Amino acid sequence: MNRSLAERLYDDFIYQKRYMYLVRGLGNTVLITVFALLIGVVLGAIIALIRVNYIQAKKKSPLLVIANFLSGLYLTVIRGTPMVVQLMIMYFVIWASGAPILIAIVSFGLNSGAYVAEVIRSGIQSVDRGQSEAGRSLGLSSRQTMAFIILPQAFKNVAPAIFNEFIVLLKETSVAGYVGIQDLTKGGDIIRSITYDAFPPLIVVALVYLVIVIGLTQVLHAIEGRLAKSDLR
Amino acid sequence: MISVKNLYKTFHNTSGSVEVLKGINCDIAKGEKVVIVGPSGSGKSTFLRCLNLLEEPTRGEIYFEGKQINAPGVNIDQIRAQMGMVFQHFNLFPHLTVLRNITISPVLLKIQSREEAEHNAMALLKRIGLEEKANSYPNQLSGGQKQRIAIVRSLAMNPKVMLFDEPTSALDPEMVGEVLEVMKELAADGMTMAVVTHEMNFAREVANRVLFIDGGQILEENEPKEFFSNPQHPRTQDFLSKLIK
Repeated sequence: MNRSLAERLYDDFIYQKRYMYLVRGLGNTVLITVFALLIGVVLGAIIALIRVNYIQAKKKSPLLVIANFLSGLYLTVIRGTPMVVQLMIMYFVIWASGAPILIAIVSFGLNSGAYVAEVIRSGIQSVDRGQSEAGRSLGLSSRQTMAFIILPQAFKNVAPAIFNEFIVLLKETSVAGYVGIQDLTKGGDIIRSITYDAFPPLIVVALVYLVIVIGLTQVLHAIEGRLAKSDLR
Repeated sequence: MISVKNLYKTFHNTSGSVEVLKGINCDIAKGEKVVIVGPSGSGKSTFLRCLNLLEEPTRGEIYFEGKQINAPGVNIDQIRAQMGMVFQHFNLFPHLTVLRNITISPVLLKIQSREEAEHNAMALLKRIGLEEKANSYPNQLSGGQKQRIAIVRSLAMNPKVMLFDEPTSALDPEMVGEVLEVMKELAADGMTMAVVTHEMNFAREVANRVLFIDGGQILEENEPKEFFSNPQHPRTQDFLSKLIK
């Protein structure tokens, strides 16, 4: 340690615009997180609908049985294996070539979908049975009842949990570097490998995650507060 | 209008199965007001819920306007659209305004345009004196207001029959009257009604016929005056004697 902290910070972040590793990395992190969550919510909703339909259906059509089986298999595999392994399998085995960012978005989306599916399923099942009975007694079909009566209430119930998944996902994307994607974590790591100085880059990376998560948590509390208020309207 | 033949219903759960309805036969004519009474757990609610197949009968036949509705291939949604149902716990849709609660079904089923449905809904709300609540949400209303709105929500579909499943049992006592008032007006308008209730005065005043269900069977049925003054079956006598007059 024969350099001052100021010199180290200059070397790590300013010299040759090395801070750009973090800026571009953060861009990729946000990009992957946002689109993976979109995939996750859409996929999660579909899986949840299949599973709820299967539980509620009196007569189970073969198609529904197969769909439910595949959903169960998907949930088991995704939730039973580490994210990093899934990502590497996607990158090195299944796609072997392709834009890394795209592969990462799909991998994280598939992963997130499994967790979101269970959240949405619990949301659907938390809506009182009387709601669906009221919808059906008015002549609405089971599909209309689900779309216009149950799902809006279910999504409202689970909005905080889905937003929480966003926060979890943001941190989880830090393993994207395993397949050569320069996300925020990898950006800090690259600086470390150039300057042989680990402390400042990694602490800054950690701080950036922390600040974003604290900010998102504030948003989450605001959402929860608003939902609670609308319950008392 | 409604005809029930030899209706059986068994519920299966983890601890075994319970036979709730054991051979119910019943006809409800157009314009008739049938009140169904009985001790709790007697199967009276299950019977009512079978009429629009919210519960699927285990055995037996249910006819609506001469057509068997618990037969394969019947579009039950179309049948239900003609049968209104009012629940003990109102079951208003909390995420929709009062107006939208009333219009959602006629609009989604393309029975009325949105303008027609809203016009119709406002007229119905005016009838029960709640037109200023059109843009409120259910959670802003009292129990009595909720139930009156649940009734007009069903009426918005112009049903041929109205089923009431203990419509006043979840209400604070001071709100029972306003709901019964709406039901009485409906009865006076000639609506066909089947009402499960503990309101014996309502039965006396409004019913053409009172059914007494216990143990999953209709033990006695009579016009209300006879039913209350001169019950035949010992179980009916026992049930009526336990009611606070």
